[in-house]
Amino acid sequence: MFTFLRRTIRFGWHNFWREGSLNAATVFILTVTISLISFLFVAQGGVKHLIGQIQDKIDISVYLNSNLTQEEVLMVQEKLMQMSEVQDVSIVSKEDALAEFEEKHQNDFILLESLDVVGTNPFYGSLNIRATRPDQYAAILSVLNSSTMENIIHKVDYVEKKTVIEKLSKFISNVNAIGLFLAITLGLVGALVTFNTIRVAIYDSGKEISVMRLVGASNRLIKGPFVVQGIIAGAIATFISFTILFLTTYFLGNRIEALTNGFNLFVWFSAHAIGLFFIQFVSGISLSVVSSLIAIRRYLKA
Amino acid sequence: MIIFENINKTYSPNSFALKDISFKIDPHEFVSIVGKSGAGKTTLIKLLLREENPTSGKIFFEEQDISAIKLGNLPNFRQKFGAVFQDYRLLLNKTVFENVAYAMEVMGGTDFEIFRDVPRLLEIVGIEEKADNFPQELSGGEKQRTAIARALAIRPQIIIADEPTGNLDPYHSKDIINLLKKIHELGTTVILSTHDKGVINGLKRRVITLREGEIVRDEQRGRFIL
Repeated sequence: MFTFLRRTIRFGWHNFWREGSLNAATVFILTVTISLISFLFVAQGGVKHLIGQIQDKIDISVYLNSNLTQEEVLMVQEKLMQMSEVQDVSIVSKEDALAEFEEKHQNDFILLESLDVVGTNPFYGSLNIRATRPDQYAAILSVLNSSTMENIIHKVDYVEKKTVIEKLSKFISNVNAIGLFLAITLGLVGALVTFNTIRVAIYDSGKEISVMRLVGASNRLIKGPFVVQGIIAGAIATFISFTILFLTTYFLGNRIEALTNGFNLFVWFSAHAIGLFFIQFVSGISLSVVSSLIAIRRYLKA
Repeated sequence: MIIFENINKTYSPNSFALKDISFKIDPHEFVSIVGKSGAGKTTLIKLLLREENPTSGKIFFEEQDISAIKLGNLPNFRQKFGAVFQDYRLLLNKTVFENVAYAMEVMGGTDFEIFRDVPRLLEIVGIEEKADNFPQELSGGEKQRTAIARALAIRPQIIIADEPTGNLDPYHSKDIINLLKKIHELGTTVILSTHDKGVINGLKRRVITLREGEIVRDEQRGRFIL
């Protein structure tokens, strides 16, 4: 078994270097495919960051009746936090609301004077609720509208924000669907191009395979070196793709951060480097090995 | 040793490649199969190596019906034959040494056996100084010698040579035939397919003549008559 393995590796290694141009083409196509898959992952990271930022800006405010005690407000907050749809609930007291208003309109003396005319704090305390996903606000609203909350809640501003929330929710789901479609399509195209390149390379070896069979080589001994060739090509393509990705993210990191409001490509790459390398390595080697095994099948019949 | 029993081979309903072929080859024989191009010589050899199956009839090798050999056992079956072809069929990515060694590696030969036997075989066929060359760096005669060394490497019971001199000049043809005669004298059965009149008449051994897929002559000390 050890001798078989040693010989198979040696044959594969020899074939890889001696068929230089064909294997260079295979490595090139594999590199393009692996890079494509990798950049899709990076793009997904960027899109997630942008979507996260948009989602952070979406919330609904629940204005509470002014006669509620601090304990009652905390109880409502706790009840809402227990819902799986709710990501965060922050309390804005009447005083906070007033301070925020005054700060926001500090240069508008007429507005500030009008507050003095009223004489009391006209603002309601509120709870700002952020859902895990934008499409979950309707479910949260149904809880807020239940009879147990009737005496607690003065008003919910969902109706005003409904259109914007629904549009954003649709936009996010569209972006995700398009991303998935692109990933599947480009992945498939890449895999097919790789398969065809390897098929052409093996077609070129068809005559040699028939000679091996005539000499009495077993299918195992014929297939083995092609698998080794596939592993070598996949490993080299992975190394090249990883280097390209490293250099691209390193040099474009700051520029993309400025464009995307905080998404640093290189930081993201550094955090996911091991996972990315693993994905590249597995996709590169499995693509080339599986393609080789499928392409060689027709030459081993009879 | 080898029995062809009523073999027919057709590729389409109206074209017979071989028609009712029956003959027997005994151990240690030197048999030449002659005929014009398209007479069926190569088809006959393809059937013997189980590269193809007959349309009807049976071929026996050591009393075993070779059509019944399972796909997984074909490598073992083929390892009993050393094959030499007109187009050499060498592995182009391997050196002369590696081509010959490959046949032994296929048989499970050890590294010690390979490094002991391959140089000897290359010496026998006279190309020891070309051991590190690739096939594309060799002349036709040298390629054919490499193919013969490879065929001998597995110590076959039978050497099948399909038009081995087809691409060679008369000088190299004579060399190759002399090599085959030497191999036969050492006890190996040789089946030679050719349409080279000079080669056949010089051999003075058994000749099977094919014409349009049929055997028209089978003589123990035959001559080249088409």
